[in-house]
Amino acid sequence: MALTGLRSTHAVCTHVERLLDPEPPGYPTAYQLLLRQRDAALPVLGTVSAGFPSPADEELTDTMSLDDYLIGNKEATYILKVNGESMLGAGILPGDMLLVERGAEPRDGDIVIAQVDREWTMKFFRRRGRRVFLEAANQDFKPIFPTEELQVAAVVRAVIRKYA
Amino acid sequence: MEPLTLASFPRAILHIDGDAFFASCEQSRRPKLQGRPVVTGKERGIAASMSYEAKARGVTRGMRISDIRKLCPDAVILPSDYETYSLLSKRFFAIVRRYTPDVEEYSIDECFADLTGLRRLLRMSYLKIAERMKKELDTELGFTFSVGLAPNKVVAKIASKWQKPAGLTAIPGRELHHYLAKLPVEKVWGIGPNTTAFLHKHGIRTALEFAQRPEAWVKRYLSKPFFQIWQELNGHYVFELALGEHETYYTIQKVKTFTPASSDRAFVFAQLAKNIENACIKMRKYKLATQRVVMFLRTHEFRDFGLEVDLSGPTQFPNDILHAVNPAFEELFSPATAYRATGVILSKLTEAYYGQLDLFGEAIRMQRLSNLYESVDTLREKYGKHTVFLGASFLAHQSAQHDGERGHLPERQRQLLPGETTRKRLGIPMFLGEVH
Repeated sequence: MALTGLRSTHAVCTHVERLLDPEPPGYPTAYQLLLRQRDAALPVLGTVSAGFPSPADEELTDTMSLDDYLIGNKEATYILKVNGESMLGAGILPGDMLLVERGAEPRDGDIVIAQVDREWTMKFFRRRGRRVFLEAANQDFKPIFPTEELQVAAVVRAVIRKYA
Repeated sequence: MEPLTLASFPRAILHIDGDAFFASCEQSRRPKLQGRPVVTGKERGIAASMSYEAKARGVTRGMRISDIRKLCPDAVILPSDYETYSLLSKRFFAIVRRYTPDVEEYSIDECFADLTGLRRLLRMSYLKIAERMKKELDTELGFTFSVGLAPNKVVAKIASKWQKPAGLTAIPGRELHHYLAKLPVEKVWGIGPNTTAFLHKHGIRTALEFAQRPEAWVKRYLSKPFFQIWQELNGHYVFELALGEHETYYTIQKVKTFTPASSDRAFVFAQLAKNIENACIKMRKYKLATQRVVMFLRTHEFRDFGLEVDLSGPTQFPNDILHAVNPAFEELFSPATAYRATGVILSKLTEAYYGQLDLFGEAIRMQRLSNLYESVDTLREKYGKHTVFLGASFLAHQSAQHDGERGHLPERQRQLLPGETTRKRLGIPMFLGEVH
């Protein structure tokens, strides 16, 4: 009511209802109220105690879903089930699920999925000057120096381990 | 040679086509398959899609798997994984929509997009936009697309086919005649064998010869759709893009093969009932009702026998359809024959509406069925397809659809993540194969 400067609740209500109308007669669209539904949003921080007036709705406008948190480029993200042990040293276990992004430019230190001898391989991507190579997290594996162009298929963005 | 038109891109229409879409979806997620002949459709017994390596060996769409094994013994034959193909198809359209909202989803693996007027906004030429889009599609989906840029849909189709696979061809209006001169007229989208034969009789062999015919001649001898094609071949924009996702259907069709072939009356009927249930699920999803049903049985010798049944009123429910179809089934079914597939086509679709009252309590019955199926659909959404089904289709749910079902199950469904079930999985495509 303070916003509109009107004293009658009914008058305010009528105005708001018109703004909610998707095609308001005579109102410019810029003044429409946007009702956005955010589904599956999880709070990042904080708890609400019972018994106090709850500011929950306002506080939750700036939260994101797990999907938004984990996935950057939605169209380029794939899942991969780990079945080898080459990344044990990086804390990635057989059975873990990875979210990988296809076509992303790898940076030094990224874990990448590369294509070597018609198989997927998961390694650290290393860049030393103009030279690039792949390095395993496991001491038993030797680093791979590509003879031709290195085919990095995807960059690992997240590791998910669900304890079912 | 005279140009047909002087304007390059009065409209800028793209046609984008996924190269060997299903087979490419498989190759891109499993590096072992790259460079090898790959065929999908194992579960149906015929090729649904084949990689370019398989095409080069003479494998064609619809070829029997048994014939493919003889022709190309090293072919990798995989069951179709429509779930994954659909996920990738949605991504394909989403990537195109990064550039323009005007996208026609023509089929699972091709679309049209209108770029007209976007040059200034994106600060790129139409060709540059098409290049960018293609690069994002190729890298983010992991296989190649063929792209055609032209002033209209008919020419955009010609352009995307010009250098398939992985090509990008732009045909500006002023260069159109060079391309049409090299194109046999039957290769033009929409010109079928009959029209081709007619045009040949008049000495028209190339698309250019057709485009150069005077308007009066075309109008006199051909019907409106061909006049429109003629206009587009002359560089005009006639065929509008059908925007938005697939919103409605004129017919709904469900066909399912089962192996081994069967001559068990109850079992074959159960297969038909299952198809009818599936068709009804789709119908209810789009809030449609049917008034005409075609049912057919396919024998193990690939011969189809079908009958058409008209319903007394529009319905969305398998109960009504089964009741109406039962006599037709009895008429067609011969116990001496083995069947390998059943199918149903629902047509005369209208918007579902049960407002009309009548003397015989039909409206009340419909209301009850409607309540019942609302619950059935809620259960399906929560627990997966066929959580509850009709007794009539019981036998079809008892056994696997195919002999040795495990071999026919897409690998994604055998690679379940913790918490996933055979009914529900994460809606994100998966990389397959060993990771070293």
